[in-house]
Amino acid sequence: MALLEIRNLHATVDGKQILNGLDLKIDTGEVHAIMGPNGSGKSTLSYVLTGRDGYELTDGDILFDGVSLLEMEPDERAREGVFLAFQYPVEIPGVTNMTFLRTAVNAVREHRGEMPFDPMDFVKYAREKATDLNVSDDMLRRPVNTGFSGGEKKRMEILQMAALEPRVAILDETDSGLDIDALKVVADGVNAMRSDERGMLVITHYQRLLDYIVPDHVHVLANGRIVKSGDKALALELEKKGYAEFLEQAA
Amino acid sequence: MPDGSEHMQPYLDQASEASSSLPGAGVGWIDALRRRGTDLYGMHGLPQRRHEYWRYTNLNALAGGSFRLAGDPPAIKLPALPHQTLADVLSYRVVLVNGRLRQDLSDLGTLPNGVEVGSLQALMAAAPERLEPYLGQVAKLDDMPMAALNTAFLSDGMAIFVDADVSLEKPVHLISVSARDDGDAMVQPRHLVVMGRGASSTLLETHISADGGACFNNVVSELHLAEGAKLNHSVFQHEAPTSVHLSGTAVALAAGSTYDSFVLQSGAEIGRSEIRAYLNGPGVDCRLDGIYLATGKQVVDNTTYVEHAAPECRSRQVYKGVLDGEARGVFQGKVHVVRDAQQTDGHQLSRALLLSPRAEIDARPELEIYADDVKCSHGATAGDLDEDSLFYLLSRGIHPHTARRMLIEAFLSEAIGEIPVQQVADDYLNHVQQWLSDHVEERSDGASQ
Repeated sequence: MALLEIRNLHATVDGKQILNGLDLKIDTGEVHAIMGPNGSGKSTLSYVLTGRDGYELTDGDILFDGVSLLEMEPDERAREGVFLAFQYPVEIPGVTNMTFLRTAVNAVREHRGEMPFDPMDFVKYAREKATDLNVSDDMLRRPVNTGFSGGEKKRMEILQMAALEPRVAILDETDSGLDIDALKVVADGVNAMRSDERGMLVITHYQRLLDYIVPDHVHVLANGRIVKSGDKALALELEKKGYAEFLEQAA
Repeated sequence: MPDGSEHMQPYLDQASEASSSLPGAGVGWIDALRRRGTDLYGMHGLPQRRHEYWRYTNLNALAGGSFRLAGDPPAIKLPALPHQTLADVLSYRVVLVNGRLRQDLSDLGTLPNGVEVGSLQALMAAAPERLEPYLGQVAKLDDMPMAALNTAFLSDGMAIFVDADVSLEKPVHLISVSARDDGDAMVQPRHLVVMGRGASSTLLETHISADGGACFNNVVSELHLAEGAKLNHSVFQHEAPTSVHLSGTAVALAAGSTYDSFVLQSGAEIGRSEIRAYLNGPGVDCRLDGIYLATGKQVVDNTTYVEHAAPECRSRQVYKGVLDGEARGVFQGKVHVVRDAQQTDGHQLSRALLLSPRAEIDARPELEIYADDVKCSHGATAGDLDEDSLFYLLSRGIHPHTARRMLIEAFLSEAIGEIPVQQVADDYLNHVQQWLSDHVEERSDGASQ
């Protein structure tokens, strides 16, 4: 049984058909990349997987460990181990990163039947995770993403992933807005999370990210479905040729 | 006679009967001031919609009431404050029960030289001439009907005098207790704060009820700040859900003075805070902030009037509130900039979170500007929690009720963060957290299903 199996996924946003029969299987230990041009449905896929309101599934199913995610609310999916690193992380003034992280981690731990951290222990836990990602204590004390640079926000996303230890991680355009140094830090963080217990789905427009997070499988998304799959060589091919061929094909 | 005033006539009669025995009786200007209050209230009556500052808050509930004018304060013990943290703030404590000073419950310790804190009643009897320049002078009674009514009953309250250049380190904490007094009590307390040139102090007010009984509390405060004086003023109104709490505060601000006000309202069936600030000299800094929490059928009103009567003054207002159930919020704020008040910097903002479809806010921010070189803005928002923020928290596994709560708390804590006394800020945040636990959490859980 696959860790995550997406079957014939059809979805609409505001009544507009965005996903048109998408199939994808991700096993534990695998990193899949989905590449596609703007408007191909990449972000829609990430929101459908995480259950965001306004993204309506009209056909198909999403199985996580063989169980459909469709009946689960976004927070339940997250506690089950589905994680999305946002393309545009949200700023929340008035809530500190530390409180946010602790609340999230403890919700997940309780769901797994583990003891929640008390605040002191959690500080230690968070600091440990933060060091590798170059996240300072000061950043942890500040309100969630508020006034953070693009690179800082993406580092916080990866820190959240590291702290929550999901079973499947979806990275939505994690490279956008990053310079090369920031990209390396983020990619190192992601690579450190690769494991036999976990699957990853890296959604990206550009091949550049895949130099640092090397995928096992690459898929091309065009007009809401996967039109070609291959190994990492496919990403390089796309880099050279662009998406034009697939757009014509799909049209 | 306009609608409404006849309902108060029995009380006015009561007041004039008592007037010969009220403190300061026989002092010409005090007698005249009370008569003026009676006359002005007689002209206005109970404020109606057509009164500019009473457009959205209806007091008809008072008209049918049968309140008794509070007499000597009942011999109650000091009730627990809503939160221990507030009781722990080191302060000069002044306790009023039904508007009368209870010396035995108060603790003024040793006040520094140049500071006087006591009852208005005592001053009216002993040295009325000290009150004459201020009492009834800061509040514009002809435009404040409920202040006129209060003046008709003028008899007691708290008076603070801080001499020039004296800085009071510890706050003065006025704890005002409303208690049933052989029936539903009507209380008309009158407070006066006079800050000399360059003086500085902090005034905390906590308004609570001793029992669940109905009470009509009509507070008027007059604050007079001389040149360069500074007053931090934090007011917490948490009276019983059956009471009506009306507060009218008038502040006269001389050149270079600073007034920093924060009002937290969560109690009473009708709770209203009206603040009128007169920026009379250049370089005044005036901040009026507040938060409110209302549920059930509560009405909570924040009405402000800021008059920029001199150039180079700054005023900022931020009012934020959370309305649940069928609660109704009111924000009416006017910034008035006279022709000569150039380089005015005036801002006001009202933000309301409506947690239920039947909650309502009436917001009317208003600028009236006659000068041409000013920087002014105003705004009002009303709505539910931000969906992007909510989804972000949910996507991390946080339960919906917790996520909503975190966002509501964040919304309010931003405003609370502006309170200069940390302990007070902490206490108000405690109160917000407690209120959210009591009123919001369960319902949101159900709603998320």
